[in-house]
Formats: sequence, C-alpha cells, structure tokens
Amino acid sequence: MRLAIGIVAVLLAFALGASPAAAQGKSDLTVALSSFSTEVLDPVLGGHVVKYYMSLMFDYLVGVTPDGQLSRDTGLATRWEPSSDHRRWTFYLRKGVKFHNGDEVTSEDVKFSLQRAIGKRSTTGYAGPLRALFADIETPAPDRLVIVTKDPTLIIPTYLSRSLSTEGMILPKKYIEAVGDDAFAQKPVGSGPFRFVEQVTGSHIKLAAVDNHWRIGVPRFKTVTFKLVPEETTRIALLRRGEVDIADVSRERVKELEREAFPIHFRREEAILTMWWVLPRDGQPTKDKRVREALNLAVDRNEVAQSIFAGHADPAYVPLGLSWSYRDIGFKVSSEMQYPYDPARAKKLLADAGFASGFPLTVHAYQLPGLPEGKAFAEAIAGYWQKIGVQPKLVPVDYPAFRKSWFDRATPGAVGYYNVANRDWIGTYALLEKQAYSKSKVSDTVNDPEIDGMIEQVMRQTDKEKIGVLMRNVYTRLRSEHYGVPVVYLHSPYAAAKTLGKWNPGNVMYDFFIDELASSKR
Amino acid sequence: MARFVLARLVQSLVALAILSVVVFVLARATGDPLHLILPMSASEEDYANARRYLGLDRPYVEQYASFVSRALTGDFGTSLRARRPVGELIAQRLPNSLRLAAFAMSVSLLLAFPLGVLAAVWKGTGIDRAAQVIAVLGQSLPTFWVAIVLIEVVAGRLQWLPAGGIGGFTSYVLPGFTLGWFVVAGMMRLLRSGMLEVLDSEYVKLARVKGVVESRVVWVHALKNALIPVVTFAGIYFSILVTTAIVVETVFAWPGLGRLAYEAISSRDFPVIQAVVLTTAAIVAVINLSVDCLYAFIDPRIRYVR
Amino acid sequence: MSAEPTGGAVADSLPAAPARARTGARGRRLPVFALSIIGAFVLAALLANVLSPADPEEQSLRQRFTPPVWDERGTWKHVLGTDRLGRDLLSRIIWGSRVSLTAGVLTVLLASAFGAGVGLVAGYHGGRVDAALMRITDATMSFPVILLALILAVTVGPSFVNVVIAIAVILWARYARVIRGQVLTLMELDFITQARIAGASAARIILRHLFPNTLNTLMVLVTLQVGYVIIVEASLSFLGAGIPPPTPAWGSMIAEGRDFVTSAWWVSFFPGLAILLVVLAFNLLGDWLRDTLDPKLRQL
Repeated sequence: MRLAIGIVAVLLAFALGASPAAAQGKSDLTVALSSFSTEVLDPVLGGHVVKYYMSLMFDYLVGVTPDGQLSRDTGLATRWEPSSDHRRWTFYLRKGVKFHNGDEVTSEDVKFSLQRAIGKRSTTGYAGPLRALFADIETPAPDRLVIVTKDPTLIIPTYLSRSLSTEGMILPKKYIEAVGDDAFAQKPVGSGPFRFVEQVTGSHIKLAAVDNHWRIGVPRFKTVTFKLVPEETTRIALLRRGEVDIADVSRERVKELEREAFPIHFRREEAILTMWWVLPRDGQPTKDKRVREALNLAVDRNEVAQSIFAGHADPAYVPLGLSWSYRDIGFKVSSEMQYPYDPARAKKLLADAGFASGFPLTVHAYQLPGLPEGKAFAEAIAGYWQKIGVQPKLVPVDYPAFRKSWFDRATPGAVGYYNVANRDWIGTYALLEKQAYSKSKVSDTVNDPEIDGMIEQVMRQTDKEKIGVLMRNVYTRLRSEHYGVPVVYLHSPYAAAKTLGKWNPGNVMYDFFIDELASSKR
Repeated sequence: MARFVLARLVQSLVALAILSVVVFVLARATGDPLHLILPMSASEEDYANARRYLGLDRPYVEQYASFVSRALTGDFGTSLRARRPVGELIAQRLPNSLRLAAFAMSVSLLLAFPLGVLAAVWKGTGIDRAAQVIAVLGQSLPTFWVAIVLIEVVAGRLQWLPAGGIGGFTSYVLPGFTLGWFVVAGMMRLLRSGMLEVLDSEYVKLARVKGVVESRVVWVHALKNALIPVVTFAGIYFSILVTTAIVVETVFAWPGLGRLAYEAISSRDFPVIQAVVLTTAAIVAVINLSVDCLYAFIDPRIRYVR
Repeated sequence: MSAEPTGGAVADSLPAAPARARTGARGRRLPVFALSIIGAFVLAALLANVLSPADPEEQSLRQRFTPPVWDERGTWKHVLGTDRLGRDLLSRIIWGSRVSLTAGVLTVLLASAFGAGVGLVAGYHGGRVDAALMRITDATMSFPVILLALILAVTVGPSFVNVVIAIAVILWARYARVIRGQVLTLMELDFITQARIAGASAARIILRHLFPNTLNTLMVLVTLQVGYVIIVEASLSFLGAGIPPPTPAWGSMIAEGRDFVTSAWWVSFFPGLAILLVVLAFNLLGDWLRDTLDPKLRQL
C-alpha cells in the first residue's frame, strides 16, 4: 500500500511541478477565440484571419475608424493625395512614431513593408492586384512616400488600410534585415499599442501594452491575451468564471447568456452565408439559369434565419452581396430582388429546364471557422432542395479537402457554402476580382464575360461616380443571373464580461478593435 | 540479460522504422497543404514558387531520405502552418501532455485501488458488481460528453474549478478526472484478478493461519503482491494516456500533443504529423521496453518465451 | 481514448496461474442485465423500420428542439423530443442502434479475424516469420487509432466504411499479440507435438488444434471491444471524422447535441444514454465471459 501511495505521490508531484499559476488582474484582458487561423505572426504569411491579434501589434499605413472609414488619425499616414492623373500617390507619414525596439518608423520601413507584401514569399489575400499595379515606390523624405502605379487607380489607400487584409501593416526594416524572416515571425516587432510577449501555438498569444501610444494614449490594459478555446461550452464556462473577458459564442447560446446578464456585442452582418457551386461544366443543371433560380426559390430564408441562427441573421438576396459596400456605391436591394419562398414555382422552373424529375446534386458539408452552425445549415438547405425534387447528396469533407477539389476543378457543379466576410466597396471589389473567371486563377465561381469586363474597368477607373455605376451593375447582374444562393447575413455575437464596459467591435473584416477598447483617449 | 535488452531494443527500432515510412506516406495522402497556405487568388506560378520554397517539389524518396536523416539528428523540420521548428512545437506540448497523463494516472489509480480490492474481497456479491459497474461506467461514455457536462456543471454553474486551459493544480482536476476515469476499468480488472489470485495463495493462507487480522491480510499482504502487474501495466496505460488524449485536450483547450496532431492533420502539416506520431510511438516503445526488461529481470522464464 | 493497453506484451506471455476452482457458482450466473440490454438493442436494430415512429432523416425546422413528451411543451408525436433540425430523436436512436451496433460488431469481427490469423501464423511458425509479423504488429500498435482515423477521414472523407476500416486497421494488432502469446503456450503442449509427429500439415494444426483453443480468448476480447469501438466512433464524430450525418449514428448525435447541453439537454442525453447502456452491457458481458471461460486472462 505504501508503494501505491508513493506512486501516486510521485505522479502528482510530476503533474504539478513547474505548472505556471494563472494570475489574472483587472488590468489584463483575455479574449477566447474558437479559431486562430494560421497563428503565423508574420503579416505577409498569415492570411487575413490573423488580423484579430496582429492589428494590435502593428500600425497600418492608412488607419480606419471602427466602422471602416479611412481615417487620418489612426494610421501612420496623416494625409495622402493622388496626382492629377491618379498614377502617383503621395503619403505623408506621422513623425516620431517608434517601433517596439526603439527604431523610428520612416518611409524606408513603409517601402520595405510594401515590397515585402507583394513579394514572392507573400501569401496575403490581396497581393496579386497590387503586384500588377505597382510600378515603383519612392521615398523622397523620411516622412514622405510616393507609390507610382502603372495605371490610374483609386484603390491604393484602401488596399493599404486596416479595412482590408494585412498588406498595409508597417514592419521594421532594420530589425527584419538584421534577424531574418524566420526570427521575425517568431518574435515580431511592430509599432502598435501592444508588443509581442509570447506565443504558444495552439494555446495562446500574449501581448503587453507599450507605455504610451500615439493612437490610444496610455493603454487601459497592461496585457492582452488571446486564448484558443475550440469548444464552445468551455469558452462560456471560462467567461462565467471570469477567466476571460471576451469570447465568440454561437447564436444559439445568446439567449441563455443574456438571461445571465452578460453583455453581447453583435457584429451585424459580419458575413454573408452563401451556397454556391463550383463552376459547372456545359450541360450540367446549374449551368441553366432557370435551375439556379429554382434553387433560390426553394429556400425559406426567414425560417433558416429564425431557426438555425436563432434569429440572429437576416435574409440575403444578392450573390456576394457584401452589404457594408452598399453605402459606398449607392446600391439598394429592391423588393423585386427579394426571392420569395416559392417551392411550387421552383418545381415549375425545374420542369421548364427539363429536370422535372430533379437531378442529383452534390452538397459538401464542412466545418468553417466562426460558423458552428455550418453542417446543420448544409443539411437544412439540402432538405429544402429535396422538397422540390432535387436529389441532394450530402458529402461530408473537411474544408481544406473541399477547397482542393474546388481549386483543382475536380468537382464541377458541386455545391459548397461559405461565410464571406463583409467588407467595404474596395474589399468587395478585391473579392470579386478574385472570384471572376480567369484562366490563370483557380478560385473562380462565376464565369460571365460581362461581369469580368466591368470588374476589369473598376481598377483603372478614377471617377468615383462611374465606379459606383459599374459596381451596381455587377451586383444587378449577379442577382439577375442567380450566380449563387445567398441565404442569410449573419450577425456574430461576442459575449463580454460584465465588467468590460463599452466596446464597439466595429465592422471591419477580421478585426474587432481591442485597441479602441484599450484606449484611454475616448 | 544484456542480449535480451539489446534484442528488444533492436525490435523497437525496427518497428519505429516501419512506422516512419507509414506515417510519411499517410501524411502525404491527406492532400496539399498549399491550398491552405496560399490565398484564393494565387496563380499556378505562386503554387510552383511555394512548393519549391517549402521543398515539396522534390521526389518523395528524396524527401523521405532527408526527413529520416534529419530526424536522426533530432531535427524534424519546420511546420508548414506555423512556420516554426517542429522540435520547438513538440517541446512546448510534450510536457503538458505528460503532466496531464500523470495526473490522470493518479486519479485512475486512486479510484481503481479501492474498487479492485473491494470487488475481489466480495467477489460475486453485489459489492463486486457495483464496483465493476462504477469502473466500467467511465469507459462507457464518450469522454467529450463527460468533459462537457463536467465543464457545464462544475466549472460553469458551480464555478468550483477552472473550465479549461493549463494553469495551477485546479486546472488539472477536470481533464485529469475525465481522462483518468476512462481507464479505471482496465486497471481495476487487473487489480481484482490479481487480488483473487493472491488471496487464494498459500502465502495468504499462511498469514491467516498465523492469526493476522483479515483487513491486514487483504490491504497489506495480498495487495502488495497484486500490485506488481498493476505497476507494469501502469507504464503502458501512461503511454496510452499521452498518445490518445486528443478529445480531452480539445474540450479543455489543453495545449498538448494530441491537439497538435489534430491541428496538423487538419492543415496537412506533414512535418508535424510525422513528428508527433513518431514521438508518441517512441514514448510507447521506451515504456514497453523498460517494462519488459523489468519483467525479464524479475522472471527469467520470459527471456525464453520471447 | 483507448482504455486497453496496446502493448499487452507482458500479460500475454505471463505464465498462466495454476487453475483453481476460484469461480464460484455465483460468478457463473448469467448476466441477465447485460444480455437483456444487448438483446433489446439488437431487436431495435433489426426491426428499426417497424419500431421507429418516424423517418429518422425527415427534418422540420419549425419543430426543432421539441422537448420530450413529459415536458409541458412536449408532444406524443416526438416522445423523446427532436434535434436541431426537428428530426425525431426516438426514431434516430432506434435507427442509430442499427448503425452503431453494426459498426461496432463489424469492426471487431474484421479486426479479430485478421489479427487472429496473424497471431496463429506467427505463433505457429516462430522464427523469422514471427519476428517480421510481430514488428509490423508493434508498429501498428504504436499508431494512435484516432490519428489514423482522422488522417483517413481527411484523405478520403468520413464515411461508415472508412470508420470501420480505420479502427480495424489498428485494432487487429491487439488480437495478433494476444493470440500469438496463447499459441506459444499451446505449442509447448503434448497434443500439438503428437499432431506434428503424426504428420499433420501446418494448416491442419493451426485450424484444427490451435484455433479452437484460442476461441475462448477471442470471444472475451471481441465482446469487450465492441463497446470500445462504439466509444471510439463517438470520439471520432466529435472530431468530425465519425460516421457523418444525416445517417443516424449515436456518436454523431451526441457530438451534434453537445452545444445544447443547457438549452436542449435531451438532444445529446438520449443517444448518450443509449451508448452508455450498450457499452456497459458489452463490458459487463465481457467481464463475465472472462471470469467464466478464461480466468487466466487478466488484462484484455
């Protein structure tokens, strides 16, 4: 028996030896997220989803307000202006801004960062169009930078702002050249209000506040920790125990948390949830416009919003209709654009198209980050389609596998779904540019020469009115051709600790402005 | 004895070598990591660049050779997803896995001892059956469900213990119990059958004849002897706990090896998949080897059987 | 997740304890509880189309999360309530017993057939054959079953067949180990030597003499592991690699319902109860079988 006690004691001692104690004071903010994306701390390698934590460590060339408007007060550039032919963009930089290692931020750093963002190693989302557009970057003075483009364009400031991806994050040239890319990715240095402390992949990323930052003053929190907590129940329990201050939660559990008086912050219309098909081949049913309309009419969007998304969603009617851009381009969803729920007409359309007895349709079901309802959603939509005579076949895959077969064009006509993050007009344009058909790209979902032509014109258009017309026409055509089955706009809930106070998570893609929450300037 | 140890060592290495080929092939069967690394708008040229940069364009045989030769020096390459040395990722996670396993092990031992002894002493009675049911219950429920209910009730509602993450002693209790309870049944069975055997032996009979108090006979004389198989199997259980805690680690947001493996598979991170599988296999091999040697030392007959 | 040690190397070759009359009459009494539970679920599986009150895959979003009948919002139409897509839980559990039991039994049968074959051949031939087969067995055993299943699921997509294959591909090694250990002991016995002297072929000795003598052990192992496989399948569902919906399998039902533990407890509770009862029953039956048939087997 003594032996047994001894074994247990040794095991326990081993288990508990050197385990760090969890200390959480009021000056520390902890955010629990269900997914961290790639966890790479190098802006040119990470992809957009890393913005949640990266935008605290780095400053953007062009800042934005939490609702996505470009701002001269929150970025390194205090002002910017195009030449009259819109081929030279001059940026005037804020003076006296320092990186966390003490180096001053100069136009050389900006040039270096932009070149790095469009370089060969870069895997950022929007490097492509910039690469095609940039002719040269000049640095006439430490506080002045000129971007020379091959064609006239309006898109430069937004592309390099916080409203899009990571291309506009400014990195320290000297530091990176001294330590190398790999060391930088492991110990990044930026000029943002929080500096990097430690990262344990798959567990957490810890940042500490700088003493004083030009953007937010003396930060309200000493540290900000992002914790990866994949399981919902665990995130909520952590919140209840006060171990985390902010957590993303599923829509289904909002009511329960509200009953317990936890403040819920919604990012309204954070994403549009769309069913779309991999570019169909000739002769495939979804090549027929009538079939595409039928698939749209078969879905009861209100019911989906109310049941699967617990009422925290609204019907969507325009394919890729990223509503945050509507204001910029003056687009309105008219009442005749709204698809009614009309299975009878859907059946008739199918019959007209020669598919009276339906057709087999492969529907992929997978888990997407930030969409716990994904599989239920796919099952529900397949159920609606079944009711109009289509024979949907649910194929469970994991998302990377689907993405591969989509890119390889291995599954033409098959259906998948995506929660496309909402964004402003340039973001939308950047996305459409990617989705439009082209031989060299692999992500196309729409093959429509008319749309391609309009998109082609946008990048080189410098008259904002004309851009508005083009973009409105793109949307109108996407809708009238039924390129996809837009289903709902998702409102994403973030539960907060009762002590957190006022927080505006804003509407900028993959960002929720923890730095604004930490600001003492408000 | 030395020959026996050497032979077992060679056997383990051969098994590991076989495994290295299998895991190399399987990892590559999962698909193309580039689809996850590169943005949607990437062109064929971008793909070719990245493939060359990551060394994925070389022939498989060459890739395998460089993987093995570097792995022998302890270098498992760089994670495709996190762009960090795989060795560093393993070093961060392995201690957490080992600690959780050690804790779970203690929990299961603490539960298995009384249950096993009671079941043996009261063999065939209601107590025996009740003890068996309690032990087997832990094995009869999916661990993720047990974990979620525990988190919801003990951490979320009662707020007695932390819900997840790794921290002080209290953070071990819920995941440790979930994992530990799952293996109680096996350990309790061992103890029960061991006890039954010993209680029936001449040695115990002698103790009784000599007038030793029954409770002392059971808890000291008999248990001491029934312990040996438990101790040897404890080593094996320990390795099982380390290798297969994926589910518990996921629910409790525990940064261990299992979770690392899961993430690696979902992002097609070949170097990490290979390293995790081989590391866990090596741990299992080491533990089995030491247990076998211990046994061979205690009981020379085994050396001839194998 | 495994509860069974994969490296059963030690116990398999432990010298058998001298047989004694330890198993009293009471120990041999039939495990009525376990047998009746297994019987009930097997019946449900066989008669699913008769017993099930509704189509297990028929969804009705308006009726989602209907509570069980005894709740004031419950209805007799859905005795155990409905899940998040408004499907009838009772029907899904009844059909699920067919899916989950088949998965469990099929996997174990496949694994045991292959594993026993390997064990018999290795144990009989010994020498190099034995060494080669046992190294492959070792390598297999050190591959965590859940990882292999995950890899298969992301490679070829999760499906019933793939789940069965993934688990069986790892599980066979345990049978190979245990059976080989037994064969080694049997080979020392006189009747095998006599059969050899009498000129019996290898196949004949393996099939007629060795195999029947390992049957008891096999039965115990198979019974104990059916439950284990069902639990592993459930864990795979949790990780997104189990038998996929809309097929009603208990594991994926619990996994799907886990986010509603507080708001709609019945969605995960009833399939959880079904798993609990069946796995418990198989484990108790296995324990009883071992006590009765093969008390020497201490760890399976």
